[in-house]
Amino acid sequence: MAIPSITQIGHSGLKAAKAGISTAGHNIANASTEGFSRQRVLTEASEPSSGAYGKNFFGTGVAVARVERVNDEFVEKQIRNANRDMAQFQEKDLALNQIEEVFNEMGGDGLNRVIAKFFNDFRKLSEEPASNSLKTAVLGTGRSLTTEFHRIEKQISGVRGYLDSRIEVCVGEVNTLARDLADLNARIRVQEVTGGQPNELLDQRDSTIKKLSAYMELNAFKDNKGSVSLDIRGVGPLVVGERAEKLDAVRSSADSEGKSDGTLDIVHAGALNGITHLVKGGKLGALLETRDQLISSVLGRLDELAFGFSEAVNEVHSQGYSATGRTCIPFFEPMELTGASRLIALSEELLANPEEIVTAACPDSPGDNRVALAISRLQNQKLFGDSSSTVDEWYNSIVSEVGSTASHNKFAMNREKDIVTQLGRVRDQISGVSVDEETTQLLEFQHTFDASAKLIQIADEMLKTILGLKRD
Amino acid sequence: MRVTETGNYESVRENMRRSREKMDNLQTQASTLKRLNRPSDDPSAVGHLLRIRSEKANVEQFQLNSKLAENSLMLTDRAIADLNDIVTRARELAIGQSSSASSSEDSRRGISEEVSQLFQQVLSIASRRVGDRYLFGGYKNQAVPVDSSGRFLGDHGQTLVEIGEDVYISTNIPGSELFNTQPQPHADARGMSPYSESGPENVNLFEELQRLNVGLLTGDLATIRDTLDRFDQLSGHLITVRAKVGSRLQGLQSTYQALERQQVSGAVISSALEDADMAQVMSDLNKEESVFKSSLAVSKRLIQPTLLEFLR
Repeated sequence: MAIPSITQIGHSGLKAAKAGISTAGHNIANASTEGFSRQRVLTEASEPSSGAYGKNFFGTGVAVARVERVNDEFVEKQIRNANRDMAQFQEKDLALNQIEEVFNEMGGDGLNRVIAKFFNDFRKLSEEPASNSLKTAVLGTGRSLTTEFHRIEKQISGVRGYLDSRIEVCVGEVNTLARDLADLNARIRVQEVTGGQPNELLDQRDSTIKKLSAYMELNAFKDNKGSVSLDIRGVGPLVVGERAEKLDAVRSSADSEGKSDGTLDIVHAGALNGITHLVKGGKLGALLETRDQLISSVLGRLDELAFGFSEAVNEVHSQGYSATGRTCIPFFEPMELTGASRLIALSEELLANPEEIVTAACPDSPGDNRVALAISRLQNQKLFGDSSSTVDEWYNSIVSEVGSTASHNKFAMNREKDIVTQLGRVRDQISGVSVDEETTQLLEFQHTFDASAKLIQIADEMLKTILGLKRD
Repeated sequence: MRVTETGNYESVRENMRRSREKMDNLQTQASTLKRLNRPSDDPSAVGHLLRIRSEKANVEQFQLNSKLAENSLMLTDRAIADLNDIVTRARELAIGQSSSASSSEDSRRGISEEVSQLFQQVLSIASRRVGDRYLFGGYKNQAVPVDSSGRFLGDHGQTLVEIGEDVYISTNIPGSELFNTQPQPHADARGMSPYSESGPENVNLFEELQRLNVGLLTGDLATIRDTLDRFDQLSGHLITVRAKVGSRLQGLQSTYQALERQQVSGAVISSALEDADMAQVMSDLNKEESVFKSSLAVSKRLIQPTLLEFLR
């Protein structure tokens, strides 16, 4: 055993201690970096030298095998899924809050109150059918009714516009992240081929996949070269190795699955048609679901309400006779079912002459209130949903649907938040950085460093002793 | 189990977030005094509440209608009572002049004056109004319902108003029904000849007064005697009609009371659905506040110590 090899052992100890210290330092520095997995230096005893001194083998020190990251792929996958679900509920919650605000009947005058006022104005008119001031009041309430329909329609359409702009932003973000992932795949492969341990890149890739998973349901799998590829579930590849596909959002016409005219359709190069109805889960899934299901259903029912209501009132109103003996006067302008809540308007004739509001079933009968009564009676008639709901019930069911969707979503969102928190703790237990632990490591490696330096000093002294033999 | 600083911070943040969220919710309830502030707070209660609100608006309108109907029925009642007084007076006069013993040409002329006066009174009662509407014109209530000769110009129309959900009451007695003992109900309530063609003979108030007057002026005692029975019939008819009005008024009152009860129970239910229980909210808020404070206090201790503190 040569003395210089003892120096070598000391040197290898110094190197390992330095690696340990720098890794612990790196861990501490990244203690609050999102998605960072703590790293660990794996050392191994280096191969002993051949038996130049008889049959004994002497160790030759320590070697740094590699620096590995402490990470559980299964937990990462669970976190990805939980994160995706949470993102879905959160995104939906934002939209639902806005829709709820439109139907907020709790405070001021909503459509519910205006509808009740409309019928009661006719009841008032039935008591005094010849009164022009009451007729003007009826017309005023009619106007608030149409304004209220317009307001709701406009605000809901506004929310739909907001959802579309979010969809556009999300598609852009997905494209950026997909390119990032393809890029990371390439860099990781280069490093791994050259035998490196690209821990930081691996962490970055994990967090990129995690971010991407928040947008929709994806399948991730590793190919034999170590690249991670992603499939959009039910559609096709998003990222294959070092190549990323591009999604696009284009405006298109209405379809049979609830997408309305002029809203955005998501397009994928690999699919012939738009993939709007195939994308599920995550932020994009939530946005599309809210837009094409809830909003379409709410607007559809609102149109039915406006249309059915105006038709029913018109039918009764046009049968009677006005004070000037005219008949066939509609109360609302006749219109189509599609877009009724946007189109509903009082008839031009009545706007010009409010006294032409019809109360009588017979001509020349100023005291005849039968038409006014018949209109007020519409309030309790089951005109909607295959004769199952009155005007009030139909409108209230829209409000209830929005309310219960929002409340279920909130409930699910909180549950998912808990799951994410819980999984975050699990991940933290495995991959998180404990400063106390790292500090201990620092001390430990520092001692190793000191001891190894001492070894070198001892070897040096040994050499000096031997060299000094000749002088004496 | 490994516990890391990041995990500690995370759970501190999470606890604070939860506490703040709960307090925010309680504060909204405390400041609005409402448990329901948006539809998602309790979707089924919101549906219920909206229904009660429409009902409340309806009940208020029904009450208003009841009051107005009551007013015009009271006026009708008064008018019928006045008419009956006139009929009674006319009958008294007819009795006085029905035998040759008490009747002379002079007395008959004087009485005739009074009968003409009575005729004018009946005309004025027939033209009584509520607001700008004639009480007895049926649907044609914007014009005088009886002309100066006593001919009825109105129709049979009954003005119904809704005084409770699907409860309708007629607020008027058409003149055709009031002035004739045997009015002819007409299919569309607009008949201009309200006289019965068969059955008991119809007696018309105006015609009868005129007949009496003619009898008095011509000294035809038989005609004068003839009117006695007819005035009895008229008086009986007026009492029947008055009883009808009375029963409508009674019906109004009981419906009105039912409406008041409904209003109270509606208010009770809507308060139970919508109003926050302030005592509960305040005590929850206090509780949440102390939870929040203690979580802050614990966090302070949790976050501070690290190994580094002890190495210095």
